[in-house]
Amino acid sequence: MSAPPATLSAEAAPARPPLLEVADLRVEFDTYGGTVQAVRGVSFSLERGKTLAIVGESGCGKSVTVQSIMGLIPMPPGRITRGIAKIDGQDMLRDQRIDGKDIRGRLVGMIFQDPMTSLNPTMTIGDQIAETLQVHAGHSHRRAFARAVELIDMTRIPEAAKRARQYPFEFSGGMLQRSMIAMSLACEPSVLIADEPTTALDVTIQAQILDLMADLQRDNGMAIVLITHDLGVVARMADDVLVMYAGEVVEHGGVDDVFYRSAHPYTLGLKAAMPSNRTDAAQELTPIDGSPPDLFAPPEGCGYFARCPHAMRACEATHPPAFAIAGGHDARCWLHHADCDRDAAQVYRR
Amino acid sequence: MLMYTLKRLLQGVVTVWFIATATFFAMHAVPGNPLTNEKAVSPKIWAELQKRYGLDKPLLEQYGLYIKNMASGDFGVSYTQQNRQVNDIITEHFKVSATLGILAVVFAAFGGILWGALTAMYRNRAPDIVIVFLVILGISVPGFVFAAFGQLSLVKVNDWLGFTLFPVAGWGTVQHMIVPSMVLGLGTMAFLTRLMRSSMLEIVNSDFVRTARSKGLPMTRIFRKHELRNAILPVITVLGPSIAAITTGGFVVELVFAIPGLGRYFVQAVQQLDYTVIMGTTVFYGAFLVFMVIAVDLLYGMVDPRVRLE
Repeated sequence: MSAPPATLSAEAAPARPPLLEVADLRVEFDTYGGTVQAVRGVSFSLERGKTLAIVGESGCGKSVTVQSIMGLIPMPPGRITRGIAKIDGQDMLRDQRIDGKDIRGRLVGMIFQDPMTSLNPTMTIGDQIAETLQVHAGHSHRRAFARAVELIDMTRIPEAAKRARQYPFEFSGGMLQRSMIAMSLACEPSVLIADEPTTALDVTIQAQILDLMADLQRDNGMAIVLITHDLGVVARMADDVLVMYAGEVVEHGGVDDVFYRSAHPYTLGLKAAMPSNRTDAAQELTPIDGSPPDLFAPPEGCGYFARCPHAMRACEATHPPAFAIAGGHDARCWLHHADCDRDAAQVYRR
Repeated sequence: MLMYTLKRLLQGVVTVWFIATATFFAMHAVPGNPLTNEKAVSPKIWAELQKRYGLDKPLLEQYGLYIKNMASGDFGVSYTQQNRQVNDIITEHFKVSATLGILAVVFAAFGGILWGALTAMYRNRAPDIVIVFLVILGISVPGFVFAAFGQLSLVKVNDWLGFTLFPVAGWGTVQHMIVPSMVLGLGTMAFLTRLMRSSMLEIVNSDFVRTARSKGLPMTRIFRKHELRNAILPVITVLGPSIAAITTGGFVVELVFAIPGLGRYFVQAVQQLDYTVIMGTTVFYGAFLVFMVIAVDLLYGMVDPRVRLE
């Protein structure tokens, strides 16, 4: 139950409010086994034209966070118990605008992990792209379809006019993901949420899709929220990074801060577990031992306590607040408390 | 697509030929023949009769003759009904059976899709529980029970109203058709409801429906364009066999509601070993079913682009 991290105001105060602002978001799911606290007070903000990467292992609440601000979690069993999500100053959660056509598909576009199953198999690609324009921009089918062909062309799919009349099963995975991007950008949204956009694709296609996203971002200045567990993708794309663990943000900062001045033991663990091209023994993969805490009954103290090599007594009993490391960089770890004299050499200190 | 259609039609013809052959030999394996019902006649007249109807010839020759006539569209003359061509019986009564059957299929398909979608939308809530209970009833209770109950309730309703809203039996007007076709389609509708329900539940949670929601589409459009069309695919798949179930069930319903369909002739013919009528009705029904199944398969290709063939 701590206050939102200091980062929200730490950055040089912008002239107008950030494009996307999420504060103290809490999401729960009712299941047969009890209530799962999937997201426990997540806050972040995002400026126009910037990319925020959300990283963390499976089940840490990355997808639930963005899906709940998009109103895509099934309710029930899901429940947003607290928090604010504002886009361009409009509250997305409180005004029930989520079901309206103002936000989804128009202000925020979204692409998903598995392009093979994320498109309707009985509808042509062109129609699926055109549909968004028909609904949001009130275009006629003919006009929307013509625009869909342009969008397909923009995502560098050859023979766009012919392709628009084909069905998803006639496309390859990479082309399907391009089509998804074309679809999510149809109404020129100011935010693109990409939920593990490259996880289901092979490596060369991954690079092409990421390049495409970066190019489109440069052209139209949209902000991107990129969910991934691939640190390579983060390094390539992100301006800011949000490291999530057990439904919380454990470290937040600029991409260089998080990578080179990692301030949370979990971030260090993730980096050590990342495969590299080097083959010498020093580059052996070091997995993080143990498993994340049970979110049916989250621990009193730090969620990473059981797996942390630097765990202290305070970590078990008391939940750590977010400590500011530098401007725009903070970590939720007791190692940064002024009274902490523990030597944890790898962890970046102020 | 054209090649595929032609191939399927050819297969259909072979199937019908097989049905005709199997029926022919099964029928002749039954002791006696259509003339055994006649009063005792002298052996000379008996032999004369046998010869006249060609029943004295070897079985294979009779078979060859029959197939030849059938191929030219002639099913022969009834043994038991004087001067009645089997072709006349079929043309006169089949349209009644077909009307009843098609109405029942339409009723079952639309009902099944509607109720199935509804139960999926209200999953585990009151409408779902009530409909699923009725569905179990519909699947487990045999058609003739529904037929009898349907007729009885018609009597009660007409009694209570003081005039005949729906006639209790007979054929001719639209009012005559409604209740029998509903009774006939009920079991299939129940079965299709279950199928549609499970298919719909799967589709509602699918990735592409989530995509459609992320696009900010209105609920009605998601239902119409994304959920319904994908959810009815399994329903269409079983529609072919369902037509068979409905048509065979038709005999009973025709009997209960005194509908002058082909079913009565079929049953009568089997009882009296009326060779030509048995053959005519069986082959005709068989052909009808085979080609309905082909039609359903072609329809499937229209709904699902993935099975469209070149």
